[in-house]
Amino acid sequence: MQFDRVLDVRGLACPMPIVKARQEINQLQVGQVLKVLSTDRGSVKDFQGWAQTAKNIQLLAQETEKENDKEIYVHYVKRVS
Amino acid sequence: MTTAVKQATEWTVQELKDHLDRGESFFLFDVRNRDEFSTWKIEARTKLPTLNVPYFEILEEGGKDDVVESVIAYAQAKLVSQLPTDKTILVVCAKGGTSALVAEGLRQIGYNAVNLAGGMKAWGDFYQIKSVVESPALSIYQISRPARGCLSYVIASQGEAAIVDPLRHIEHYLDFVKEKKLSIKLVLDTHGHADHISGGRALADRVNAPYYLHPYDAIHPIDVLPAKLSFEFLRDGQEFSIGSAKIKTIHIPGHTLGNVVYLVNEKYLLTGDSIFIESVARPDLGGRGETWAPLHYRSLERLLKLSDSTVILPGHFSQPKEANAQGLFMATLGELKAQNEGLQMVQRGEKAFVDYMLSSLPTFPPQYVDIKRVNAGLLNPDEEKASELELGKNICALAQAYRD
Repeated sequence: MQFDRVLDVRGLACPMPIVKARQEINQLQVGQVLKVLSTDRGSVKDFQGWAQTAKNIQLLAQETEKENDKEIYVHYVKRVS
Repeated sequence: MTTAVKQATEWTVQELKDHLDRGESFFLFDVRNRDEFSTWKIEARTKLPTLNVPYFEILEEGGKDDVVESVIAYAQAKLVSQLPTDKTILVVCAKGGTSALVAEGLRQIGYNAVNLAGGMKAWGDFYQIKSVVESPALSIYQISRPARGCLSYVIASQGEAAIVDPLRHIEHYLDFVKEKKLSIKLVLDTHGHADHISGGRALADRVNAPYYLHPYDAIHPIDVLPAKLSFEFLRDGQEFSIGSAKIKTIHIPGHTLGNVVYLVNEKYLLTGDSIFIESVARPDLGGRGETWAPLHYRSLERLLKLSDSTVILPGHFSQPKEANAQGLFMATLGELKAQNEGLQMVQRGEKAFVDYMLSSLPTFPPQYVDIKRVNAGLLNPDEEKASELELGKNICALAQAYRD
């Protein structure tokens, strides 16, 4: 998956992953992709819900990576308008 | 001179339970996503006025960088007609962090909003202890997780105790027996649970007591694999002594193949997952509902032959309103024969009962297969995973109990 910027919110609890992602998305050009790294398991469903609500983004993909036995939830968010 | 009254900014889960027990009305504002909310929410004896708006909608539509400012903007634009100004608004999220900010925003514009500290995670992990009967010769305590509808028991006599169906957070039982100066002699499970992780093996290890389970339930019914944890074999008719109290085991296959109930002093029947207050246990969580439903019928029929004055103490409840005035989930067998839909069907014969059972099955939560694995020692989740497996309310009873 191609991306233009990375936002690392590992260790941050809800609502910060989405608060920070909103701020980052507003810095991107239309068409660019933000990769978000989170340790908050709840972020998976919350990013899906946010993408349905926000008109200027599209959730391209979500992945789970393992790092030292800890799960990292990765979200790819594209700015579409 | 006016005195400024300091308003509470949060409720602990204990304070929430106190409000629910007193039947005080408040407004529930749940900011989790819609799936989580529809699966599981805070329930009272009577329906609470409730609103669910996922926090990311508040952030997005509030439109500010700052969370509290977004809440204020969103509430002023969209919630004025929906939020009450004459009631406490309890704001709830998954872990209590986001809801604290939402409550803060609502307070700034004049609402009496409080945060539920620790959120639904803390509510799900909250335990409450109430006494069913208390005397030196016999005490029985009902230990519940109100949010999950799980019930467990301490049977005590002459300083000795047996714990029946202990739940995962065993420190609650350890603290309680210490306070009551009891020594745990015995840990008993009624069956291999599907909806919650048993604290049985862990508690028995901590106090060096034997842990009993029926051997049929030490085989995972879906994997067909033997348990990887040690236990003592329970058998039908087996008797235990705790102080001067007598506990008799009755094997009643149906909900599981190794399902048992415990009859204490010929009077109190700890029914685990068989007879509940409003309904009976489902027969299909082992994946063999059609085969097990007739077994379940014969087992329940056997229990109906006990005296009508037998006090039923179930392993679950479905709704808070099933509690009596003392907040206990209990009733006599005679009362339940007249009220409980499942037991009424038993009295109509095997075919009627089996048809009723198989036509009333609620959804089969997929995580129940994994929970049975954990309880057989076939899977060892960390705390976060364990907590996630247990999220929400149990669905061990037939669907009838869930009508609004």
